[in-house]
Amino acid sequence: MNKYVKEFLHRGLIFGGFGPVILGIIYWILSVRIADFEIGGFDIFLGIASTYLLAFVHAGVSVFNQIEHWSLPKSTLLHFLTLFVAYSLCYIGNTWIPFDPKVIAVFFAIFVAVYFVVWITVYISVKSTSKKFNAKIK
Amino acid sequence: MKLKLLIDKNRDEEILIYAHEKTALVETIEQLVLQDNFELIGYADKEAVRLNLSEICSFTVEDNKVFAATLKERYKLKYRLWQLEEKLPESFVKINQSCIANIRMIDRFDTSISGSLLVKFKNGSTDYVSRRQLKTVKERLGL
Repeated sequence: MNKYVKEFLHRGLIFGGFGPVILGIIYWILSVRIADFEIGGFDIFLGIASTYLLAFVHAGVSVFNQIEHWSLPKSTLLHFLTLFVAYSLCYIGNTWIPFDPKVIAVFFAIFVAVYFVVWITVYISVKSTSKKFNAKIK
Repeated sequence: MKLKLLIDKNRDEEILIYAHEKTALVETIEQLVLQDNFELIGYADKEAVRLNLSEICSFTVEDNKVFAATLKERYKLKYRLWQLEEKLPESFVKINQSCIANIRMIDRFDTSISGSLLVKFKNGSTDYVSRRQLKTVKERLGL
């Protein structure tokens, strides 16, 4: 098996469990905030299964950036697209958003904005660390 | 730094260093002593080669096999990564679960677009520092 596929599966399996935990917290907050909040057994199962897969993909996809023979734009684009497809399927599958082109377009815009903010925050933080490290090895 | 050499066949051989801090000279002496005590044999094209620690950029695991990468060559080793980790001097640091880096052979640290901290070695290869090993790497660099 390709070492990057192995690494994808390994990372995904380690962090996959965080998805249902986050979903549980959201359900808990909703039950506190909304008096008549109710959810069926199948919806709970669908939520748990899909957020597990979402967290699995989210963790695994980080391996894209370690594939040296991929160019920077290619790994960024595939990283972004994989996450967008995974999130879209999860949200639509759970009917958290309707299958409507306008809604999906808004979802896409929000996704791009959040992706960019997260990316820039992490990038600046790691850039600062790499500068400190470089100063030490020179 | 003063040097005192005592030839005495009745005592165990040892090297003792009194230093105000761990300088490059101290590290070089440390590497030389470890090199003398730790024979590292690498295999390339069925040929066994005695490897010099100071020439090694990194030790990596691929398909459960351990390799040592120098500036020009890559050698297969018969050690496990954890065995190397125990024996190597402090100038070597584990940067992720499958790589031990020689700090002196790191060309620079870089940032990947995913936010990973990349390590670019002097032989042109690249690896990354895992979040788990970040603290250890910081400590080794004196940060």
